[in-house]
Amino acid sequence: MPQDMPPSGASARFSTSETFRRLASSPPLWSSAWAPSASGGFYKLGQGIREQNELAREKMWSRIHLIPLLQAEEDRDLARRHMADQAREEAADGRQLQGLQQRQVRADFPSLLWLFVRPTYAVTPANTTK
Amino acid sequence: MAARKPIFNQQVLVDTTPLPDSVPKVKEVGATSAPLLSASFFIGARCRPYNDDYMQCKTENPGKGELECLKEGRRVTRCAASVVDDINKHCLDEFRKHWQCLDNNNHQLWQCRKDEWKLNKCVFDNLKLEKTIPEAQGIPVHLRSKQIYAHYPALRDPGQAPFKKAVDAPGAEAPAS
Repeated sequence: MPQDMPPSGASARFSTSETFRRLASSPPLWSSAWAPSASGGFYKLGQGIREQNELAREKMWSRIHLIPLLQAEEDRDLARRHMADQAREEAADGRQLQGLQQRQVRADFPSLLWLFVRPTYAVTPANTTK
Repeated sequence: MAARKPIFNQQVLVDTTPLPDSVPKVKEVGATSAPLLSASFFIGARCRPYNDDYMQCKTENPGKGELECLKEGRRVTRCAASVVDDINKHCLDEFRKHWQCLDNNNHQLWQCRKDEWKLNKCVFDNLKLEKTIPEAQGIPVHLRSKQIYAHYPALRDPGQAPFKKAVDAPGAEAPAS
């Protein structure tokens, strides 16, 4: 069976323009248009990255100045809860159960000496609303 | 101590017992994130020695710094509260404008330079506290008159001069407390 083929001479009618063919076949020509544009873009990119670094530094230092303040408040709250827990246990049991638990864990795992062992149980305070 | 709060299945446990009387009382700063961010560099300028003391104490007492460093923590809080109080006393309008701008702009400092310059000038004139960014490359970002990432290119009001860098850096002076 004969196969359908384009009519003879069709490729000449759809050929790319002469200008485009000249551009595409000549790297110096198109790179002379492309290279300045690309280097300009990279220059702007570099500027943007540098400014972002500086903005990040500013944000970092603002946080560095605030961290001791926030941590001190949180620590006071934790110390307050811890002391209240101990006082309640002392009143209920005569012993400081959480202190015992802490010492036990520290004796069992000497490598965890840096860790404050959060108690796994607590005597519930009578007043639990603000 | 980890930051996880003890949460029970059926209820949230809120312990309201105050600290024992043997521990001196201190009033918390009580500011939200935007005012704190706005005042952070001034807090750093005045309270750097106290902050460093506290962090050193925490480093030297691993696992029990929460109880050992209560004294240093109180100093940190008192110093920061003194800075916020002083700013409120002398530069309330500028301070409010700046932190409200921060609140409206996703806490992006570079969107609020115009208000920040006014605040910096007021704070430097009245409290002698200066914002400095350590190890900044080139002109520090908060002094640049052109911000690539800001929404609006016009950073200054018509006729407003750019914030001039203070000539004599006041450094970290300890307040009398």
